Amino acid sequence: MKELTCEDVLMAQMAAADGEEPAFSGEQLAAHMTACANCQNELKQLLALDRVLVSQTLAEANVDLWPAIENRIAQPASSVLHWQLFALIGLLLVTYKLLEMLPARDLGLAFKLVPLVIVTLLFVVIKENPFRINTELMMER
Amino acid sequence: MDDAEAIKRCQQGDREVFRHLVERYQKRAVAHALAILFNRDDAEDAVQEAFIDAFRAIATFDTSRTFYQWFYVLLRNRCYKMTARRRLTESIDEAVLVDPQPGVTNETRLALEKALQSLTREEREIIGLKYFSGLSYDELAVHLQIPRGTVMSRLFSARRRLKGQLTGTVLREQEV
Repeated sequence: MKELTCEDVLMAQMAAADGEEPAFSGEQLAAHMTACANCQNELKQLLALDRVLVSQTLAEANVDLWPAIENRIAQPASSVLHWQLFALIGLLLVTYKLLEMLPARDLGLAFKLVPLVIVTLLFVVIKENPFRINTELMMER
Repeated sequence: MDDAEAIKRCQQGDREVFRHLVERYQKRAVAHALAILFNRDDAEDAVQEAFIDAFRAIATFDTSRTFYQWFYVLLRNRCYKMTARRRLTESIDEAVLVDPQPGVTNETRLALEKALQSLTREEREIIGLKYFSGLSYDELAVHLQIPRGTVMSRLFSARRRLKGQLTGTVLREQEV
């Protein structure tokens, strides 16, 4: 039988408190809880937090978004290029590569910078910052 | 008019019928967006954009899901895009998310909101859906498109972090 960790037990206890089927039997959980003072204490705090959260209701907003939405959907979809934009950039880069492969032809420094300019423009158009690291990304367990 | 009928008519190009869907779900959607974004103006913007996305993609509506389940995916994409572009740096000095309750002081509400603000967007989202919308684990799994086991672990980690933030009186008042 799998040795239960404190996290397993607390997760299962909270699932039971939520009215969900816990992943372990009541006996297994009870055996761990009886022997583990940390879990007893933490469960008490988690249940207290649960009571705080359950007693809250979300502030209702009186919103009427339809007039703004109606105006927007009445207009034709904005002419953002989507795949056409990426196809164009691909075409430009392929053209660049073909020109670069022409033998005995030095097109200068400006020519060498063309791919950099194209990629920079792409990030400007799609409004993304390639240097920003999203620290909110989490590993799925 | 039920959702299926409204969707069918929207797919046939009837724009006016889309109003039923907007009016039926906008409050719930703003509440969900608010739980992720913590800013009412941003939440309303995200919902507006998500409804426009929904209208434009209505031809691809997945009939195996309810309208709101399908729409929620568009909404959270909009919210996540918004959070990726800005940080939750504004410190809040007034509770905006939860309603005043008898016996709950403004300090407690503010402490709770500050604690919620300190969570990741995924954690705030799951807490919002669980407690403010009352979704079960199975419903959370459908809404968030994650396995049930991940629902349990994400909810647990959100609660643990929230508990860590809510030190002192807020929890002590509730302990028995």
